[in-house]
Amino acid sequence: MKLSCLQENLAKGLSIVGRAVATRSTLPVLSNILLATDESRLKLSATNLEISVNCWVGANVTEEGAITVPARLLTDFVNSLPPERIDLSLIARTQTLNLRCGRYEANIKGIDAQEFPIILVPEEDKASQFATADLAKMIDRVVFAAATDESRPVLTGVHTELTPQGVTFAAADSYRLSVVSSPIPKAPAERISIIIPARALQELRRISGEAESVTMLVSSARNQVFFRMPEVELISQLVEGTFPDYRQIIPTTYNTRMVATTADLLQALRMAAIFARDAANIVRLQILPNEGGMGRLIVSATSAEHGDNVSELDVTVEGQPIEIAFNVRYLLDALEVIDTAQVALETRDPTSPGVIKPVGGQDFVHIIMPMHIAR
Amino acid sequence: MPIRILSPEVVVRIAAGEVIERPASVVKELLENAIDAGASEIAIEIAQGGRRLVRVSDNGCGIPANEVELAFARHATSKLRSAEDLYRIQTLGFRGEALASIAAVSRVTLSTRAVGEEAGTLIRLEGGRILHREGQGRPPGTTVAVENLFFNTPARLKFLRSDTTEAGQVARLVSSYALIYAEKRLSLESNGRLVLRTLGTGSLYDVLVTLYGLDIAEQLIEIPPFTEEGITVSGQISAPSLHRANRRDILLFVNRRWIQDTSLSYAIGEAYRTLLPQGRHPLVVLSLTLPPEDVDVNIHPTKQEVRFRRQREVFTVVQRAVRTALMRQYPVPVAQIPGPSAASRLRAGQDWRALFAQAPLPVNPEEVGHRVPLEAPLRAEEPQPSGRLPMLRVVGQIAQTYIVAEGPGGMYLIDQHAAHERIRYEELRAQRAGQGVASQELLDPVAIELAPQQAVLLEANLQALLAYGFEIIPFGGNTFLVKRVPAGLAPGDVSTALGEMLEAALEGKEGFSWEDQALITLSCHTAVRAGKALSPEEMRDLVRQLERTALPHTCPHGRPTLVHFSQAQLERQFDRR
Repeated sequence: MKLSCLQENLAKGLSIVGRAVATRSTLPVLSNILLATDESRLKLSATNLEISVNCWVGANVTEEGAITVPARLLTDFVNSLPPERIDLSLIARTQTLNLRCGRYEANIKGIDAQEFPIILVPEEDKASQFATADLAKMIDRVVFAAATDESRPVLTGVHTELTPQGVTFAAADSYRLSVVSSPIPKAPAERISIIIPARALQELRRISGEAESVTMLVSSARNQVFFRMPEVELISQLVEGTFPDYRQIIPTTYNTRMVATTADLLQALRMAAIFARDAANIVRLQILPNEGGMGRLIVSATSAEHGDNVSELDVTVEGQPIEIAFNVRYLLDALEVIDTAQVALETRDPTSPGVIKPVGGQDFVHIIMPMHIAR
Repeated sequence: MPIRILSPEVVVRIAAGEVIERPASVVKELLENAIDAGASEIAIEIAQGGRRLVRVSDNGCGIPANEVELAFARHATSKLRSAEDLYRIQTLGFRGEALASIAAVSRVTLSTRAVGEEAGTLIRLEGGRILHREGQGRPPGTTVAVENLFFNTPARLKFLRSDTTEAGQVARLVSSYALIYAEKRLSLESNGRLVLRTLGTGSLYDVLVTLYGLDIAEQLIEIPPFTEEGITVSGQISAPSLHRANRRDILLFVNRRWIQDTSLSYAIGEAYRTLLPQGRHPLVVLSLTLPPEDVDVNIHPTKQEVRFRRQREVFTVVQRAVRTALMRQYPVPVAQIPGPSAASRLRAGQDWRALFAQAPLPVNPEEVGHRVPLEAPLRAEEPQPSGRLPMLRVVGQIAQTYIVAEGPGGMYLIDQHAAHERIRYEELRAQRAGQGVASQELLDPVAIELAPQQAVLLEANLQALLAYGFEIIPFGGNTFLVKRVPAGLAPGDVSTALGEMLEAALEGKEGFSWEDQALITLSCHTAVRAGKALSPEEMRDLVRQLERTALPHTCPHGRPTLVHFSQAQLERQFDRR
């Protein structure tokens, strides 16, 4: 293997595949990055057996070949090189990769490319296509709600449903649910329903930055999902199991509906969060209707040890007055991904779910279960 | 059968049976007489567990020659004059029964000389009858030798245990008196072998070193005299790192009288709650001083039990004194690094008495823990004897389980789970007492299935569980739906946590109420687990919160939350000194 490429391109490629490198693996080759020539390009691959990322870097190839080298070492070295041409060559006898850039040179000992797991690419049948900007926004609105504890593995994934009308992503842990839907440029002809690990979507969000669109394929065995962008591919295993029927959890009626300015509500909640920190993150919302659909929202948090905080906001209220408590972290998580000027909170009573919706257009619903103080 | 009045001989033997049960009872009575006589030196000898011989010699005031015979009469005593005195008893004995009872069931030789008399007296009795009496020259004091105990009551004799057991009882008794009469020099010999000897320095700590060894004495916490409601409590108690399988080492003294009292033992157990592993007991030497009229010792002939006029106050004061001492002075357990410690060196040489005669102590202050003599300059690195944690700087995490921290006295290892458990436990307890436990409604109720016995119990306690943040509704059969859980409890842990709480309630673990168990289980399940990587901020926060807890040194199950490696220990390990 003998090739040359530009430092900037190689560094960028390495940062794209870098997150897929296994950090604590018993298989040493998984903490390596595979470098292989692919026609006139250099293909970089990394996998932790759950998520795999391939990235192509423009290169001048003079001799075909492949090798895996430790990810950390290669990345740190390349990142500290000047932005110039790098010459890479493989010393086949010792499986050592020689890098040369200007007056800097390094030899990195590798592991035979044969030992690197083969990443299978599914056949292109049920393709769908997303606009990257929309996809990123949708991912932001659901992944945070996915469970981080592994007790119910399906909840660590994002339920993804593709229909001819578009896509619906849903994620939930035991206390909240996020559902977002959108039409997409190219939808599959039939309904596909899978659970994608939240981690894979987060990674996709990170590396899809420059591409205009993302093509998604699901393997016919329904065990892998494949995202393709120009120069970059991400392949992920899917989560097996049945996602809870979340549609029945979304309330259809409410007794109180409040609309607030998103930025004001965010500020009041951030303040309350400081005081709620030592009190199980509990924040109380008191919604008080006045005449003519107007009303007040009182946000308060109390720390038994340290003090309390109260903020008052002018809001529009429809329905009954109510006092309801939530985990302030969950409220903040949801409000931080809402980009409309106004946001609505709907609820039936202090033990029923709170429903958060952006006001105006977007198809996004977030549900948070309330908290109580047991007496 | 006609009713008859019993012959005096039978009456005496029945009465003797109440007071004298075994050789240890003889030792107790004679020892108390010696103490009441104001002796400063008391030597006790036993042979064959006290069955063949019990001899107690003292240098007390002695018995005047003309009262010697009277001493053996029933209800004859010099300690009490009127009935009113009975309510203000200052002496250990007062019933005037001991000598008479002993004499009734053995062969007794008494030799005595009262202070101020020129000659002493020797008198020999058998089965209560005087056999012989003569004048004798001897130093002031009294020596009583009791031989062939129970020779005339074969039934009693049959019930005695092995010589070793009986000798053990005697040793325990003498040890107890040695502790509370630290100013007297007590010695005990069994079959000619010295079992214990105290120095009579007046310091409880010295006696503890003699009885338990330096290793254990080092781990004791002193209770400085603590007075409330006219009741003064003082003594030494074990740090929670030291515990025993039974309550034998809980020694209680009321007005310098060794007593048994289950209620006070319980008060002490309460004070140690959550500090000791379950089923373990502390080592406690506690001395209570209260006005004599507030204690009734005239309940049982052996005076092992007393009655307090203000039982509840006594209970509270004891509990508070122990708890305060634990909170204020609980030292961080010091890591045990194998190697010759001062204590083991001393033990090996068996010449510690010589060492103790000198001052200051020729051992490293670190090794004696908080018992550094005041004259010895405190070193800067010496951990302060305080219940509060020192300021700790987090260095990092190892094995994703322990936080490494640096403090003024060296290195501290903190078990992240145990530490957080303690924090959560105190939080939950405060919440429970105050505004209530925070709970979180579940998006999707979790169904749990229980064993029939647990199901019945859960069903009966649904209301009680609501106060702990669980809302559970029966779902037919042994299945229940959990709708709401305490904040911070991972949904995956719900059924395990509930299972544990029910298990504990079913077993009814000793000393732990269902409510306490509920809080402990909850704090365990809502605490950060071992094996979780923590960010430096999280670690700092955890340590800061631990510093704020009232009892930062153990988790609610009684395991230690942190271990201390002193600077000196580290230096020794690296051969720097």
